Amino acid sequence: MLSRVAESLFWMSRYFERAENTARFLDVNFNLLLDLNKITHVENPNYWIALILVTSDKERFNNLYGEYSAQSVTDYLVFNKNNPNSIISCIGLARENARSIIESISSEMWEQVNNLYHYLQSVTPHFVHNDPYGFYKEIKNASHLFQGITDNTFSRNEGWDFIQIAKYLERSDNIARLIDVKYHMLLSEAQSQAEIVEGSEDIIQWMAVLKSCSALEAFRKVYLSKIDPDNILRFLILDRTFPRSINFSVCAAEDALWRISGSSRHRYVNNADRLIGKLEAELSYTNIEDIYSKGLHVYLEDLEQRLVKVGEQVHLTYFAYHTPEIESSDIAEALPFTGVAGGRPNWSQAQQHQQQQQQ
Amino acid sequence: MSRFFERYEAETSRFFDEVISKEGIARPHYDKLLHRFGQFSIDDIKARREIVNIFFRNQGITFTVYGEEEGVERIFPFDLIPRVVAAHEWQAIEKGLVQRITALNEFLYDIYHTQKILKDKIIPPELILGSQHFRREFVGVNPPLGIYIHVTGSDIIRDGDGNYLVLEDNLRTPSGVSYMLQNRQAMKRAFPVLFDKYKIRPIENYPQELLRTLQEISPDSRREPNVVVLTPGIYNSAYFEHSFLARQMGVELTEGKDLVVNNNKVYTRTTRGLERVDVIYRRVDDAYIDPLVFRPDSKLGVAGLVNAYRKGNVTLANAIGTGVADDKVIYSFVPEIIKYYLGEDPILQNVPTWLASNPSHLKYILENLGTLVVKAANESGGYGMLIGPESTIEQQENFAEMIVAHPRNYIAQPTISLSRHPSFFNDTDLWGCHIDLRPYVLYGKTVTIVPGGLTRVALKRGSLVVNSSQGGGSKDTWVVDE
Repeated sequence: MLSRVAESLFWMSRYFERAENTARFLDVNFNLLLDLNKITHVENPNYWIALILVTSDKERFNNLYGEYSAQSVTDYLVFNKNNPNSIISCIGLARENARSIIESISSEMWEQVNNLYHYLQSVTPHFVHNDPYGFYKEIKNASHLFQGITDNTFSRNEGWDFIQIAKYLERSDNIARLIDVKYHMLLSEAQSQAEIVEGSEDIIQWMAVLKSCSALEAFRKVYLSKIDPDNILRFLILDRTFPRSINFSVCAAEDALWRISGSSRHRYVNNADRLIGKLEAELSYTNIEDIYSKGLHVYLEDLEQRLVKVGEQVHLTYFAYHTPEIESSDIAEALPFTGVAGGRPNWSQAQQHQQQQQQ
Repeated sequence: MSRFFERYEAETSRFFDEVISKEGIARPHYDKLLHRFGQFSIDDIKARREIVNIFFRNQGITFTVYGEEEGVERIFPFDLIPRVVAAHEWQAIEKGLVQRITALNEFLYDIYHTQKILKDKIIPPELILGSQHFRREFVGVNPPLGIYIHVTGSDIIRDGDGNYLVLEDNLRTPSGVSYMLQNRQAMKRAFPVLFDKYKIRPIENYPQELLRTLQEISPDSRREPNVVVLTPGIYNSAYFEHSFLARQMGVELTEGKDLVVNNNKVYTRTTRGLERVDVIYRRVDDAYIDPLVFRPDSKLGVAGLVNAYRKGNVTLANAIGTGVADDKVIYSFVPEIIKYYLGEDPILQNVPTWLASNPSHLKYILENLGTLVVKAANESGGYGMLIGPESTIEQQENFAEMIVAHPRNYIAQPTISLSRHPSFFNDTDLWGCHIDLRPYVLYGKTVTIVPGGLTRVALKRGSLVVNSSQGGGSKDTWVVDE
């Protein structure tokens, strides 16, 4: 498979997953605020700053908006085209990538990306404000439909594996960020209000975290109704069966990587396989006490960085093969990753102008 | 006649109408079409229009209009009334094209080898050697089978008497063949009954024929040739066509960055390492194809590709340097070229052409600017053109200055009123719109032409310009056996 085709499959899948996760964050936040309405002040910017922290875009956001409000944060995360991670940008980039490999994906997949893209072009902020539930549901369903179509129309070849790698790397990264931010908020609230972190408000918030991973019902089946942070972290980080846990996602990415290269347990072929294997092994033999002893925030940040490293190695191993720019001294610039701690990987775009000039 | 055709004004005194003869009756090969359309109401037409629109949209058959904030994608305008070409007329076109393309290929071979035609003074050498599309670097290079122009698409028009004339030979990378194929698909969906009534020659085998042609020109016949399509990328307005053809042929669609040259051999970069490439169907212009040889700022090309080509390790379709025979000045010599290489009279005629570089022609051009069409020798897409009868005195004076300053760059032709074909306006009325025809010619071991081609139509009322960048649309083209 052409490296460029593999790369475009990767980013198409990754941006679709990212858009879905952003929709989930926003959706849950709206629901959460409806619940909290009775208890606390909804306009409290703290509830909105969290969403910006999840996407680690605080600086860019501050340059564009004056305050953290439902309106500004929604606008930034859904509609803002200057934010490469907004839903509209993500779907635009997913479509751009799909378009460049339109001959390699099924026409049904292309139609689904294209439909969502055109739907987003037609949606106004006013519409989202009036029916946030309906809007986010539309995005989530579109993503589920895309994954279903992919499962049913795309051959189980290398390309499919690249789609899986991208999806699960992005998903584990998003879950880690979500937990990390929740932890941040609890910490700062506990300090400022000098309260213990297990009030009813806190339970509602932890439930929101579960909901945003569509994990509430699955969680209840395992831990019954005992919603405490330890169990929630166990479930979201370490559970091996739930498709929106970090451990599950890392395993799935590992499977796909190993299928491509032929690596196996105890015998890796390249650095991407080594790093994902190491990460998976550690997750499999970690318990919640290990995480606490390291410090939850430190643990999650480390995890995020290691996921970025896996992505970089996938890039170097499969996409950048024999690319002169990569072999030059300026590796940092050639890599399509921001490189900054906490930054999110992004696709580097191609030259437009000369392409248009050709007959 | 049907309700649509009853109200149709053919204006046969001023134009050649494809459907209605000078006597005011329908030409025989259009009989069944008129009968069928006679059974339709306006609502029937609107319903079929909807079928066609949905088909094009779902297929993503759009072209991109630039200049607005973001490139806006539009559906290529499509007219529901097909153009019908009778088999005996097609036979003449086909023979004429085979003759023309064979002669032009011999001409290119000669120009890039012994230049006999220049030594025999058939064509003034300065016109060739001074052409910006003449590639000195390729003198003496032997492309496989001696073929330079593997894929071409000549533009053919009909004059006031219905004679088929060649207006342009597009020897570089003619586009539009995907529209030809998709138009046929759309028509099959919208008018299945008509397809029952006519014996329409199929065109669906074009991608297979293209692939066969490309495989035949592989430099190494010992192994299964690896063919790829080279596209400038997704921002190119013909990107849909590039990906469509790659998909239909089942070959890789590559961009410049997917290819790498090592030791004068070309490879694709894949997730499993490098894979050797034998034939490149390239849709990137000469000037951008290799930054080491041509434009150094090109990001679309492949460094080292030209050397690999010269070494005979890879074949480019079309070859580099074919533009020299595509120039509007050289065009005027094609009848002589045919006679010189084949010893035959041309079957398809040229549009009469005056060269500004010829002093007696120049005098005639300057005296008749008000009636002639003046064209820049190297522009395409309807740009750089003066249409005499529609121009102001000031525009004529501007052109006169430019022509005198750079005579090599200009030619002039009489204003030919292209033939007209009824086309729908608002799905309610038929208008006579000017049309041309672009058949697609493949040249491998033999010359192959799929019956038909792309009929382009100037849907702006009265307009003579059929280019899609200037408001033109297209029709399905049926070659029918009587």
